[in-house]
Amino acid sequence: MLRMKNIKKIYRTELVETHALEDFSLNVETGEFVAIMGPSGSGKTTFLNVAGLLDVFEGGVYELDDKDVSRLTDREMSHIRNQKIGFIFQGFNLIPDLDLFDNVDVPLRYRGMPAGERKTRIERAAEMVGLSSRMHHLPSQLSGGQQQRVAIARVLAADPKLILADEPTGNLDSLMAREIMDLLDEINRRGTTIVMVTHSPECAARASREIHLFDGRVIDVDRPPALFGGALKSAK
Amino acid sequence: MLRYNIRIAIKSLRRNPILTSVIIGGIALGICASTTFTTVRHMFARDPLPGKSSNLFYVRMDNWDPHAPYPTAPGGPGEAIPPQISYRDAMALMRSNMPVRQSASFIGQMTVYPDPKVGRPSSEMIRLVFSDFFPMFEVPFAYGGPWDKRADAKAEQVVVIDDDTNQKLFAGANSVGKRIRIEDREFTVSGVLKPWRPFIRMYDMNGNFVAAPEPVYMPFSLTPSMQIRSAGNSDGWKGCCNTFEEFLASDTDWVQFWVELRSPADAAQYRRFVDGYVLEEKKHGRFPRPLMNRVTSLLDLMVESGVIRPQVTAMAAISILFLAICALNLTGLLLSKFLARAPEVSVRRALGATRLDVFLQHITECELVGLAGGIIGMLLSIGVMRLIGKLITTTSVIALDSEMIMAALFLSLGAGFLAGLYPAWRICSVQPAVQLKI
Repeated sequence: MLRMKNIKKIYRTELVETHALEDFSLNVETGEFVAIMGPSGSGKTTFLNVAGLLDVFEGGVYELDDKDVSRLTDREMSHIRNQKIGFIFQGFNLIPDLDLFDNVDVPLRYRGMPAGERKTRIERAAEMVGLSSRMHHLPSQLSGGQQQRVAIARVLAADPKLILADEPTGNLDSLMAREIMDLLDEINRRGTTIVMVTHSPECAARASREIHLFDGRVIDVDRPPALFGGALKSAK
Repeated sequence: MLRYNIRIAIKSLRRNPILTSVIIGGIALGICASTTFTTVRHMFARDPLPGKSSNLFYVRMDNWDPHAPYPTAPGGPGEAIPPQISYRDAMALMRSNMPVRQSASFIGQMTVYPDPKVGRPSSEMIRLVFSDFFPMFEVPFAYGGPWDKRADAKAEQVVVIDDDTNQKLFAGANSVGKRIRIEDREFTVSGVLKPWRPFIRMYDMNGNFVAAPEPVYMPFSLTPSMQIRSAGNSDGWKGCCNTFEEFLASDTDWVQFWVELRSPADAAQYRRFVDGYVLEEKKHGRFPRPLMNRVTSLLDLMVESGVIRPQVTAMAAISILFLAICALNLTGLLLSKFLARAPEVSVRRALGATRLDVFLQHITECELVGLAGGIIGMLLSIGVMRLIGKLITTTSVIALDSEMIMAALFLSLGAGFLAGLYPAWRICSVQPAVQLKI
């Protein structure tokens, strides 16, 4: 699903160059649930930005769903984000003016989907996250856990192949966090690949494997070793 | 997507009503100014007789002093010519059968004596014309019509009265065949006009061309017998005259002369006819200046007579510039408003919005603002135009027509686009990765 080989990402200012990702290589197979861990500044956010086609990189090759996406136009990247990638943010990132229905509707709008199909998908997604009765509530009228469930409904409605989640439980209490992780488990069981950045060992334990980053490199991987390509051995 | 963008834009505008009001107010101010001045220009630049004006020609002949040309107005054209012709030349031209229609014309002032039961005598401006005048200038009749050619030839005592006069004298009833006393004579009403208020008095642009048409019209051929003198301008370079007959035979210019011709080719031929007439008159010692006659189309005469004043055009241009400045001033407000929305835009970009999607969403909001400002500006400009109308003429003739409404809407959308172009471009260029903590 996701293959990165020798990815290099450098942030430059007038005074300093920061190598955020250095010879970064990683394979994530279809249907995996991968947890990315590492200290602050290890490159987790940069990796997710690059993986989500929200940022460009200097060197290396990135293949997503068997397609080289290393050098695409902005329009092509937008299209792939819309069709293949779902994002779950730590801060939920719902649009405050829009109610649940309209927030979930956003990616479908940019897909140019007919109104009837959008409505069906939104209602089904809201039902899956248990918020059918809150369809016309604004984000400000929902709890943190409910807002994150709306964000998950937004992903579910779009039905992407890959979900990139950044600390999806970071702003939630433990009960809410468990509910959200249950939902992600359920989504993964249905075949969607999930890459999740987390600081929580409990959340990471729900993943099929953990990957540890340090200084822009993969430094440690756990089970199952058969999934790792040769490139990762050199990164260890 | 347009409907979606409009819905999102309305939500955004309702989020901060004060800021929205300021932005709409700025556009409204600019639209009010630009619409007002462009409408004033448009009113005076438009064709008063569409489809007909290119066939109407005004005739002038240079019978002025051989030692000095007709004086030009300050800033006027270098080669001046008397704006009217003499009575004797008008009568000579009337003998031509080349024009489809033709009419000499001038304005007189006479006393109208109504039935003592309905009103008191009043001094009225009366236009003396030939019967062709009415179809030439498409004068609309409510009752009856113009007098006939026989009345022209025999100087019959007939009149055409306007709607106001008919209301005053006959309570608005069909008064055709009824009688009116003017000066010491009894006249029969041959026709009553519908309310008629052309935006310029195109048949006489020598004086106040925005004045209302005259209330009463009578045959030109009554001039000698009633010894009617012009109440308008008269020009002459020689001393004149002891008797009215001498006045009529003099070179004093006080008559306007219009012909209706079939085509520009006919106009050239008619011009040759006028030249031939003048050359013939030169043999009798008249027209001492070099040959200079003009047969000018109605629209060209409007330009020449200053109906479309350069100042009005300049004001219209300045007012559009003012609108542009208003729009550019709003750019800063829109920029701060849009950039504050960078996190939301980044979410949209992450979810698949292209830069173009984001640009169109924000431009739609700017166009809505422009449209709202345009509608308010147009309403304001209607009030301002009424005020201007009252200042420059007794009756308001300056008003928005469909063309100007479309132009104002176009300007509103243009102002919205101008104000929003840079902010929309900036917001669509936001890097989502910078704004999103993912």
